[in-house]
Amino acid sequence: MQKLLEGIVAGSTDWIELRYQSRSSRRIVARNGQLEESSSNLLAGLGVRSLVDGVFGFASTTDLSEEGIRRAVAAAQAAAKTSAGAKKKRIKGLADAKLAVGTFPVSTDDPLDNHPLEEKLDLVMRLDERVRGGGEDIVSSMVAYSELQDEKIIVTSDGASAHVFDSKPDLMVLAVAGKNGDQTMGYDSLGITGGWSDLFALVSGDEVADRAIRLAVDQLSAPHAAGGTSVVVLHPSLVGILCHEAIGHTVEADIVLGGAVTSDKIGKVVGSELVTLCDSGATEFAPHAVGILPVDDEGVLTQRTVLIENGVLRSFLHNRETAAHYDVSPTGNARAYVYSDDPLIRMRNTYIEPGDTSLEELLGGVKDGYYLRGLGMSGQADSNAEFMFGVQEARRVVDGKVGEMVRGATISGNAFDVLKSVDAVGADFAWDHSAGACGKGQAAKVDAGGPHLRCTLTIGGRQA
Amino acid sequence: MNPAILVGDCQRALELAKKHGASQVEVFGQTSRAVTSSVEKNDLQISKSQQETRIGIRALVGNQLGFASTNDLTKIEQAAADAVTLAKASPGDPSNILPSAVDCPPVDGVYDPAADRFGTEEAVTQAIRFLEVAEALDPRLIIGNGEFSAEVRERVVLNSHGLEASERGSLFTYFVLATARDGERVSNFDFQFDASRDVASIDVEPITRRACEHALGSLGAEKGESFNGPILLSPSAVQQIFAPLAFQLSARNALRGMSRWKDAIGQSVGAEAVTMVDDGRLPGGVATAAFDREGIPHRRLTLIEGGVLRTFLHNAYTANAYGTASTGHASGSAGGLPGIGPTNLMILPGEVSKDDLISEIGQGLLVSRFSGNSDPVSGDFSGVAKAAHLIKDGKVVRPVTGTLIAGNVFEVLKTLSGVSIETERAFNAVLPYLRLEGISVTAE
Repeated sequence: MQKLLEGIVAGSTDWIELRYQSRSSRRIVARNGQLEESSSNLLAGLGVRSLVDGVFGFASTTDLSEEGIRRAVAAAQAAAKTSAGAKKKRIKGLADAKLAVGTFPVSTDDPLDNHPLEEKLDLVMRLDERVRGGGEDIVSSMVAYSELQDEKIIVTSDGASAHVFDSKPDLMVLAVAGKNGDQTMGYDSLGITGGWSDLFALVSGDEVADRAIRLAVDQLSAPHAAGGTSVVVLHPSLVGILCHEAIGHTVEADIVLGGAVTSDKIGKVVGSELVTLCDSGATEFAPHAVGILPVDDEGVLTQRTVLIENGVLRSFLHNRETAAHYDVSPTGNARAYVYSDDPLIRMRNTYIEPGDTSLEELLGGVKDGYYLRGLGMSGQADSNAEFMFGVQEARRVVDGKVGEMVRGATISGNAFDVLKSVDAVGADFAWDHSAGACGKGQAAKVDAGGPHLRCTLTIGGRQA
Repeated sequence: MNPAILVGDCQRALELAKKHGASQVEVFGQTSRAVTSSVEKNDLQISKSQQETRIGIRALVGNQLGFASTNDLTKIEQAAADAVTLAKASPGDPSNILPSAVDCPPVDGVYDPAADRFGTEEAVTQAIRFLEVAEALDPRLIIGNGEFSAEVRERVVLNSHGLEASERGSLFTYFVLATARDGERVSNFDFQFDASRDVASIDVEPITRRACEHALGSLGAEKGESFNGPILLSPSAVQQIFAPLAFQLSARNALRGMSRWKDAIGQSVGAEAVTMVDDGRLPGGVATAAFDREGIPHRRLTLIEGGVLRTFLHNAYTANAYGTASTGHASGSAGGLPGIGPTNLMILPGEVSKDDLISEIGQGLLVSRFSGNSDPVSGDFSGVAKAAHLIKDGKVVRPVTGTLIAGNVFEVLKTLSGVSIETERAFNAVLPYLRLEGISVTAE
């Protein structure tokens, strides 16, 4: 296939990019003691992007014969040409980049296929049983295991020719508790890039299930959060969410060009000098981040991109088009989830670098506040960095001691104001390692994380 | 693709799964040919054409279930074998029985042959209209994002009980996201969506105009007021805040003990003014089709009548578990097992105009869009009211920003005080404005 694609791009007078992808995925779901789903899916196809007269066109097909591929190439070129007449801003060119050539395997000693279906089925059924046995208040359980294994061939007419492999398993556990007509939900998840044993290297399946149970049950008796401005200590998972959702999207160069609040802030102070925030295709500080990406979907070798250095905004996230616009090097952030998606600027692993304060010291500085962990059922952020997230687990902190859980807490505000309010950064580091994916018209497997940190933000709640 | 070819591939998959040892088999096949043109930042962005064929095989060995899908038609045998292998390794479930053959009358107006000639050029022409409409309205407008898509799709369902259904449909969908910028002042974005099933009914102008007017109207928004009282939700905000209702109405969630309405059939769950209907044959509806993911005919079904819960949404699995008949609400694609979901979901309009609902409010908030959480289980919602306006003495007085609203969906469903006569399409729903009472409104 690689030779065939190389031959086709060699014969093209216009710039062209061909992406072959073959994905096999598996999903096993148990609920309330019954197996609800055991499925396998095979997906193979080709995406073509062409650049004609400064305009992109895109086509995808599941017909992988040479004739089918050539038809898709013609369709992409036709799509570009039909837009060319009306397009105001033509693409001046694509920035030079370190284009990938070669094979990029997954780093693991224990590939997913080494483990039989029965072992995965057994894990899911066993954890479901564990949740159902989690106490008299548990009324419902759900456990889902998914894995996807990708093989991609990315070939461009200006020299990329990469054969890239990926492997991402994840596990999700949901527990619902009920009492006196009231119902609460707890969930936890685990996701990585790597193989089977890598998935459980830090946390076991039992621990994931136990946390879901505890969150559901503890909320039943928890009072609603009271609203107001508060000093909080954020768990690495929520630091990651803030980095990704509220900051990261506002520095994606396509969003910046759409008028994000960061557009004129390069070189300016946007956060506390304690904050250094990065987005990386590698997995710094801790292994197996979900968003590991050696080569992006434009065939560009990825890098670690420092977005904010000691509080000063240093860079946006780029593809080859926006990098040319800003006259910088591409950062390797062009990603497509499946062959039928055109590459968009997406994050990879987004994090704040660790500082030097212990968790005890962070909490010790809180007289009356909250300890917040994990993203709740949903959240939203605007390109002006205004955000509003549900919090998965919120606990009161009084005189430095973590106490009772409160329920229904949300956090909101402007993410850059929150970054400016950071007054201490922890010395630890963890990835969020969650299942699920970031959505921006198409999915992307990403990770986010950081150390614990202390800051000030607005808690939303509800008077019970 | 010719539907006869797809039917042939599905039949082959069915026979292969039987050969590998399945006692019951269902095959769902779909082909899709789509063109899309998108705009970004007041300019055309990219045009795309896509084609895909995919087949999903549900195999039962006794009552043990396995599922496999492929979009590579040279791998149909592998997928059929996978589905049977997965079934054999799975614990059984007595409710795993495929539906019997049933007659399915066709539904009119789901396919326009002119859609077959709709190419990227036509899609680009529609996408340019977003920009033209905004440009003619006000130079401060930015169409941040917009997309026009045209799709022709064939669906085939076959099962080993002799059920066979096939349909071709066309669907045109379009959305636009507008912001207004005046110097340093930037409005919230406004999002509007519409759809059509035939070429002649395509009209992107009304939604573009509405998104632009909302964006302009929220320019200069300032801090609002904090109070506990009435708010009027736009159909789009109703769709976002009341999303938990579809979760409660799913028989699957009732079966799992997760729906708070699991024992509430025949009981009051809402105000008398609330009647909720699902109609998979609604003329022009986004989700209109003759049959569901399992080949069961769609029909009009009253879910909540005058505030009283009448039925859940069922697929074959939950119908078997409850000993009832499927309501034709199996949802999903060839890429996965059937789920349960509404088709065209409606809250029927009331008798009062939106303006009359506003005129009765002393102090309140008009909410165009909601950005926040609406928890499907607890029903607690809290979030930011976007493109919101303060209402004083029966009149909309000024745009407000940073205003949080919070309440509980199940409580406000019972206490709501008004349903407008006007309705709008919000994705697959058709909804009125709703006036809610006793909402906690907090100005930041």
